[in-house]
Amino acid sequence: MFKVGSKLFLGLTGFSALTLVAYLVFVERLALGGVALSMVLATLIGLSAVVIIINDGDSEVQPRDVSLVRASMWPLVTVAGIVLLVLGLVVAQVYFIFGIVVVLAALTEWLVQSWSESASDDATHNESARRRVLHPIEFPVIATLGLGVIIFAFSRIMLAISKSAGAVAFIVLSSLVLLVGAIFAVRPALKSAIVGGICVVGAVGIIAGGIAGQGAGLRADLVEAAEEGHYVHRECGEEKSKYFDKKAMKTLSLRSNPVAIIELRDGVLSALMTGFNEPQQVVNVARGNPVTFIFRNFDDSERRMVASLGSAMAPGAEVVDNKDGHSNANETCTQLIPQGAEQALTVTYAKPSIAQDAPLTLTVPGVEGQAIEVVVP
Amino acid sequence: MNHRGSFGTRDAKRLSVAKVKVRRFSQRVLFASGAIALLGSCATNAPQDTWQPKGPNAKMIDDLQQPVFAVAGIIGIIVAVVIAYAMWRYKDRGQPIPEQTHGKPALEITLTVIPALILAVVGVFTFRVIFDLARTDDTEMVINVTGQQWWWEYDYPVQNEWGITQPIISSGQLVMPVGTKVLLRETSRDVIHSYWIPALNGKRDAVPGRIHTLRLEADEPGIYAGQCTEFCGLSHANMRMEAVALSKEDFAKWVANQQAAYQAPAEGTLAKEGEAVFLNQCVRCHQVDGLKRADGTLAIAAPDENVWSGAAPNLTKLMTRNTFAGAMFDLLRDACRDDVWKAESTEFGAKYLAGVDEACLNVNDLRAWLRNAPEVKPMYANPALLADTNGKYRGMPNLGLSESDIDKLVAYLLTLK
Repeated sequence: MFKVGSKLFLGLTGFSALTLVAYLVFVERLALGGVALSMVLATLIGLSAVVIIINDGDSEVQPRDVSLVRASMWPLVTVAGIVLLVLGLVVAQVYFIFGIVVVLAALTEWLVQSWSESASDDATHNESARRRVLHPIEFPVIATLGLGVIIFAFSRIMLAISKSAGAVAFIVLSSLVLLVGAIFAVRPALKSAIVGGICVVGAVGIIAGGIAGQGAGLRADLVEAAEEGHYVHRECGEEKSKYFDKKAMKTLSLRSNPVAIIELRDGVLSALMTGFNEPQQVVNVARGNPVTFIFRNFDDSERRMVASLGSAMAPGAEVVDNKDGHSNANETCTQLIPQGAEQALTVTYAKPSIAQDAPLTLTVPGVEGQAIEVVVP
Repeated sequence: MNHRGSFGTRDAKRLSVAKVKVRRFSQRVLFASGAIALLGSCATNAPQDTWQPKGPNAKMIDDLQQPVFAVAGIIGIIVAVVIAYAMWRYKDRGQPIPEQTHGKPALEITLTVIPALILAVVGVFTFRVIFDLARTDDTEMVINVTGQQWWWEYDYPVQNEWGITQPIISSGQLVMPVGTKVLLRETSRDVIHSYWIPALNGKRDAVPGRIHTLRLEADEPGIYAGQCTEFCGLSHANMRMEAVALSKEDFAKWVANQQAAYQAPAEGTLAKEGEAVFLNQCVRCHQVDGLKRADGTLAIAAPDENVWSGAAPNLTKLMTRNTFAGAMFDLLRDACRDDVWKAESTEFGAKYLAGVDEACLNVNDLRAWLRNAPEVKPMYANPALLADTNGKYRGMPNLGLSESDIDKLVAYLLTLK
C-alpha cells in the first residue's frame, strides 16, 4: 500500500506533527510559529492523502542501478548546516537562521539529486531531469547572492574613498562595464572561457577592493556625521541649518490622509481638515498615535513648521544637549521649504494636553502671533 | 526508460468505494450548509442585518444592492437551471459522442455583450453611490474615531454649534444626534481595524497613520450595533461598537453632562475608598478627567508607558455608557438593557440618558472583568509573554485585585456619571 512517495510524505507529516507539539509545549502557544507549523502540518496531511489516494501515481519502484549514483556533496553540506543550526542555538540567532537556510537548501538539492538518479536508466537524461527541476531555482538564487556580494563590496569602496574619487571610480567602472559589454556584443563568437575569465577578474577585483575598503573604514566626513548625528538632528530655528536643511525635499510623497494641512498664506497660519468647511485654529489629535501634518508654505520666504511636543513627553524622550551646541529641545520641525512647496511632519504626542505646562502648538519661526493649537484629549 | 504499471482490479474497486464515500460526504456537507443558510435567514433578532437600513447612507447602499441582488439572483437561477437541464439531458447513457462544433460568432457576441451591458448599468449606479458616500462637504458634525486592540475611542473636537466647548472623549458607544450628517475621521493606533455599523453605512478601514472618513446618519433615535470587520488579532471577534442616536435636544443634554466637572465621591463612603484604589491601580492606564491625587495634583494616566497601543479607555463618564470592555459586555442587566434597546423612539433618549445605576448595573460581568480581565476577554496580557512588546500589555492585565478592592471599585465606578 505504501510506496516510496507515500512513505516520504507520511514521514514528513509525522515529523511536522512532532515539531508542532514540541513547539506548543516548549516554546509558546498562540504564537505565529504555532500557526505556521499547523499550516505546514495541514499541507503535508493533504499531500500525504493525495499521494496515498493516487497510489504514488502507480509508479513502479525499480531497483536502483548503483552505477548511476554519483558522489554527492549534499550530505556534507547538510551536516555543516546542522552544525550551524546547533551553534546558533548557543551563540546567536543569525547562525541558527543561516543553518536552517543551509539545511533546507542542501536537503532540497539532495532529494532532487537522489530522485533524478533513479528517474531512468540513462544518466544523461537523469542529469537533464535534475537541471530542469533545480536550475530555475539555482540560477536566480546564485545570481542574487553574487550580485549582492558585488554591490556590497562596491559600496564599501565608495564609503571609504573621498567623494570626488568616488565619482571617478564610478565613471571608470561604468565605462569598463560598457566597454566589456560592447566587446561581448560585437564579438558574439568570443570563447566562453575568455568571457568567464573577464567576469571573474572583474568580480574578484571589486571584492578585493571591497575588502580593502572595509579595512580602511569610512571616510572622515562620514565618521564625523555619524558621531554628530547631522542628518537626523533637527534644528528648528528661523535660520538655515548647515546639515538638516541641506537639499530640502520640495515635493511630497506622503500626500494622502494627513490629520491636517497647515497653510501659511499672507502671514496667517490655518489648519485645513476634512469634514470642517472652514479653516481651523485648533486640531484634535489622538494620544499616543503617530499623526501626519502637511505644511504648505505660500510665503515668499523659506519657512519651516515647528511642532512643540510639550513639557510632558514620553519616557526616554528627554531634552539632550549635543556636543556641537545644538539641542533637541522638546520640538520637531520640517525643513525650510521655499514658496509653493509642502512637506510632511509626523508627530506622536504621548501625553495629553492636560499634562502639559503650556498648550501644544504648531508654529512657523519668524511669523509672529500665529499658532495652531494641538489638543490631545 | 521505465514504464508505468497499469491499474489493478483491486485498486480500482478500492478507489471507486472511496469515491462513493467522498461523494456522500460532499452531499451531506452541501445539504447541511444549505439548511444552515436557510435557517439563518429566519433570524428575527439580527441587529447587524445589512438589509435593514436605518439612515440615508445605508439606504443608498440598500437601494443599490436590492436590484443588483435581484438581477444576479434571476441570472443565477437561469444559469443553474440550464446547467442542470444540460447535465440531465446529455448524461452519458452510452450514446455516441455528438458532432463537435466550434465557433458560433453571433451567440458568443450576444453572450458577451449582454453581461457587459448589465455590468455597465450596475457600474454607473455603483459609482454614483460611491461618490455620494464619499462626500465630506456637507458635514454637520465631526467625530474622531481611533481603533486599537480591541476597542474604539471616540473623540469629539470642539464644535461650538453643538455646545462642545471642550473636547469630549469616550469609548464603546458613539453618541450622535439624529438626522445629522456626522463625519467620522477614523484612524488606528496599532493594526488595521474596520468600522462598520451596518444599519447606518458600509464599512471603512481604520489604518495607522492615515485619516479615513465615514459618513453616518440615523433617521430615528436608537442603538445601532456594529462589529470590527478587519481581522485585528486575538479578540477581533470581541471588538464591537454601538452607535447611539439621540434627538438633538437629548444630544445637547448628553454633551452638557459629558462636559460637567468631575464630582469626587463623598468622604467616608465605599466609593471614596474605591477612588483610592483607582488612583493606586487603574490610573496607570485609565484617565478620569478631573480626578486628583491626595496632594491635589491632577491624576494623569500613562497608557503610553503600559499599553502597546498607547491608549486605554477614558472612564470619565463610564456610567453614561451602556457597555464596557470594547462593547463586549453590557453595563446594564438584561432587563434594563432591553428596556433601553426596545424603547419607543420618543422615550429612548430619556432612558439612555438615565445611564447606569446600582439597580441596573450588570455587576457580575463587571466584577468578573475587574477580577481577571484576560480570563473573560482573550488578550495578550500575560506578563511572562511581553518581551516582544517591551513589557507593554495588549489589553487589560489581571491586576490581582482582592474582592474587597473590587467592591470599592464598583462603588466608585458607579459614581462616574
